[in-house]
Amino acid sequence: MSSPATRPQGSRRRRAFSRGDRVTLGIFVGVPTFLHLVLVWIPAVLTILLSFTYWTGINFGDITWAGLANYDNIVTKTPAFYDALRNNIIWLVWFGFIATPAGVLLAYQIDRQIRGHKVYQSAYYLPVVLSLAVTGIIWNFMLRPDGFVNGALGRDIDDAISFFGNYNINIYVIMVMASWRHIGYIMLLYLAGLKAIDPTLREAASIDGATEWATFRKVILPAMRPVNIIVIVITIIESLRAFDMVYVIYGTSAGLPILGILVFQNIAGEGASMKGAAYAVILFVLSIGPIIAYLRQQFREDVS
Amino acid sequence: MSMRDSQVVKDRAISIFIGVFAVLWVFPILWTLWSSFRPYKEIRARGTFSMPEEFGIFNYTDAISRMQLPTYLWNSFIITIPAVFLTLTFGSLIAFVVSRYSFKFNVGMLLLFTAGNLLPAQLVFIPVFKLYLNIGDLVGDRRFLYDSPWGVVLIHVAFQMGFATFVLSSYMKTIPKEISESALVDGASVLRHYWNVMLPLLRPPLASLAVLMTTWIYNDFFWALVLMSTDNKRPITSALGRLQGEFVTDYNLLAAGAIIAALPTLIVFFVLRKQFVSGLTLGSTKG
Amino acid sequence: MSADSSKIRGTDLGFTMNRRELLIGAAGVAGAGALLAACGGDGASGPLNFGVRTVDESPTKQFKALVAAYEAKTGNTVTYNATESNAFQNNLSQYLQGTPDDAFTWMAGYRMQFFADQGLLVDLTDVWDEIGDQYNESYKIASTGLDGKQYFVPQSWYPWGLHFRKSMLADLGIDPDGINNWDDFLKMLDGMKSKGLIGFAAADKGGWEAMGTFDIINARVNGYQYHVDLLAGREKWTDPRTAKVFEYWEQLIPYMNDNVLDLEWDGAMQLLLQRKAGAMLMGSWFGGNFKEQSDADYEDLWIIPFPEIDPANGRDTIDAPIDGYCVAKNGSNNDGGKDFLKFAGDMEGVQAMLDTGVPMTSANKGQDTSSYDAFQTQQLAVMAEAKYITQFLDRDTRPDFAGPVVGPELQNWFKNPKDVNKILESLQAQWDALPPL
Repeated sequence: MSSPATRPQGSRRRRAFSRGDRVTLGIFVGVPTFLHLVLVWIPAVLTILLSFTYWTGINFGDITWAGLANYDNIVTKTPAFYDALRNNIIWLVWFGFIATPAGVLLAYQIDRQIRGHKVYQSAYYLPVVLSLAVTGIIWNFMLRPDGFVNGALGRDIDDAISFFGNYNINIYVIMVMASWRHIGYIMLLYLAGLKAIDPTLREAASIDGATEWATFRKVILPAMRPVNIIVIVITIIESLRAFDMVYVIYGTSAGLPILGILVFQNIAGEGASMKGAAYAVILFVLSIGPIIAYLRQQFREDVS
Repeated sequence: MSMRDSQVVKDRAISIFIGVFAVLWVFPILWTLWSSFRPYKEIRARGTFSMPEEFGIFNYTDAISRMQLPTYLWNSFIITIPAVFLTLTFGSLIAFVVSRYSFKFNVGMLLLFTAGNLLPAQLVFIPVFKLYLNIGDLVGDRRFLYDSPWGVVLIHVAFQMGFATFVLSSYMKTIPKEISESALVDGASVLRHYWNVMLPLLRPPLASLAVLMTTWIYNDFFWALVLMSTDNKRPITSALGRLQGEFVTDYNLLAAGAIIAALPTLIVFFVLRKQFVSGLTLGSTKG
Repeated sequence: MSADSSKIRGTDLGFTMNRRELLIGAAGVAGAGALLAACGGDGASGPLNFGVRTVDESPTKQFKALVAAYEAKTGNTVTYNATESNAFQNNLSQYLQGTPDDAFTWMAGYRMQFFADQGLLVDLTDVWDEIGDQYNESYKIASTGLDGKQYFVPQSWYPWGLHFRKSMLADLGIDPDGINNWDDFLKMLDGMKSKGLIGFAAADKGGWEAMGTFDIINARVNGYQYHVDLLAGREKWTDPRTAKVFEYWEQLIPYMNDNVLDLEWDGAMQLLLQRKAGAMLMGSWFGGNFKEQSDADYEDLWIIPFPEIDPANGRDTIDAPIDGYCVAKNGSNNDGGKDFLKFAGDMEGVQAMLDTGVPMTSANKGQDTSSYDAFQTQQLAVMAEAKYITQFLDRDTRPDFAGPVVGPELQNWFKNPKDVNKILESLQAQWDALPPL
């Protein structure tokens, strides 16, 4: 056997695997892949196929071909779809221009180790470790007619602001709640990436007399390009597939239509139909761009 | 230098600004905590900001007895622990093969798993539901996968494997190839290579991943909601929905229940803070 | 292209119950202990699961009493599984396909027929053979599926009517019997408003509450037949007659509370309970909630039929949904479920529930209506006036139209009443786009 030192660079050694090795490899790769295919990819493909059928989801024999009928229904005959789309876009804009930048800037400051950064880091991240059901209860507590905010505003139950019931402001209320978590999450992601930046870059910038803001814009941000992409992708995907928080507050009623709720409303329960599958596919298609961007970023080196 | 001085002043302002918001950030949690120690009757009678006359853990003892919390917490436990264990195991297996051996399918597999992690859960729900029922019928017990913790465990594993695989394979790239080479020179089988050589070196990322996964899977809401029909088998996070409906008139009691539900992740967070950051480091950058 | 609406006939959806038959059934035989022996065979059919779709205090008390009585009689163990109502309904399709309880509480109407048609409910014809003579014909019709067999055992019914506190009306100097037509009604609302109160408490957070108002105004303005035809797809939402319903409804908006979409039905009830609102259109099931508060509150509660709008229609129609039980095909103990239903539907089971003291208007002939309290007797009187009985919109039309389409559109109307034409067009378009049954 040739030693590592004399093996030519980049040659492909033919590995002679023993039978035992082959079985092991087969199991190592086969079992997880099987599980992943059977519970994720195959169902995904099936749902895409089902979106082209009429079916109540109950008896297999009732599946009939519908072509694009479900999609046509959604796009031309369901005003709720456009309401939901609008809300998802508001979500995206809010996250993209307010919440994510806030998280990024926060991460930067904490990384610079301003006073109190250790405590701040924990404080901002705390909401992220709470489940969405708990988050819903906490915010309900704050915003109820007899909760903290209305109490602080001096309103009693009768003229309390109905944060969740007022349809002009409820989307923003939900945005605040969602940002409460999102900012901490982005902060930590960015922070982790910042730690990997070469400290000499920063030293060089400060020796040149650059202000912090200039350092951030011209040195750090470009150096964080990989993480920037990930943060953007996560922001987009989270705004599109939001569901849990809104479901906890509103159930499947039309309180705050978003795509995630529309999927659930049409798939579960009594009036189930494959319109729900079509919604899910639309949600998926909208996410494909970010997903591909994420994959390209992560596998830059491997793919090329 | 004046630039430095003004920067110091700016920094102090920034610190205060962030500090104020940090307090606001934690406030909702603190308020819920505060209210959980007070009886709802008192708040109704005397107002939200009244000084407490009664103050104690009675809501907590009440919550534990009336809300069946021990049952739900146990359910969370038996779902989360196996799910995390299997996810890490499977993730490490794939990561191991993909990073230590050069097969043609390596990149494809990584792509498959990572992309699978990003698919929306709603996209797979109906076929999985039907599949679980049909497997149950084949085996003779409809509750084999549906309405059973194992069904929820498996779907979590299937979805989260991708993230674990990615993180572990990134990490393994930083382990020198020489270690594997020398093991193979010594004639180690694939199994020994994995078990004796690589696995011990994976402690740091496995620890971090374990912390992250435990939090994510424990906090899951959707899967237990749709893949279980018996309410008292659900984990606490999905059960809170029902409790919210049942105890809607006693919000302080509900607050105590919510705090109890959040305790496991809060404890993990405070004790293992470091692992959170390092877990995300490994996931977001290439090591 | 459009749903084959000829398949959905008026007699399939909604029940043309002869009110005379219903009353005969309800008035019943003055209870002289004439109980039919529940010939439940050996009764030993093993442990079973009973699913209940409520977590509210009063109904829970009733169902638990029923279970206790059954267990005492037969020695079978019953596992009681309660789920919050909306959560139960949202999950029903999965529930029935998966691992449902053996017996569960549900509603009559197309909602039940649909699932029977899909093969998810157990044929209860033999249960009806044994207890059927305790119910009059109209209940049997209500329990029958599309194939002519029974799939449902009724438990109780309640009318949808205008509820208010007698004392509040007395304060205004209005006699409840004097609210007969629309003008009388508006006068009462004005009176409430002048006192700074909400005249008409409304809730629609759940998406279904407002359907009752739609139903009754439609029936008052356009008549019973139009209402049934509209829900079956034979008339159009874009018809000017349907639009007229919203014209009348809009007149009520100034008298409603501001947060209609933030309250569920119990929120509206709270407004009435706390004397903040004058009237509420609701089903009478919440009597128990008033009684929980105090006996005095319960005695203050009253109901009258929704006022007449068009004299041609008078007050001839009423929504009176029937709640009851079904047995799930995929449950593990079908026979146990049927056995339980036999008990629950028999006077013995009904009596166990009545003994809890929670007010209930049973569908069973055996319930002695001379034992009805004033509120229950008034409910009966309200029913007596109606010639036609419907089951409520979300039980009388296709479930994939009622919940996902009508619910949100009515909520949209509350958000913007001026958009009524857009909403009606959308309703019609979505009806037309429904997949064929």
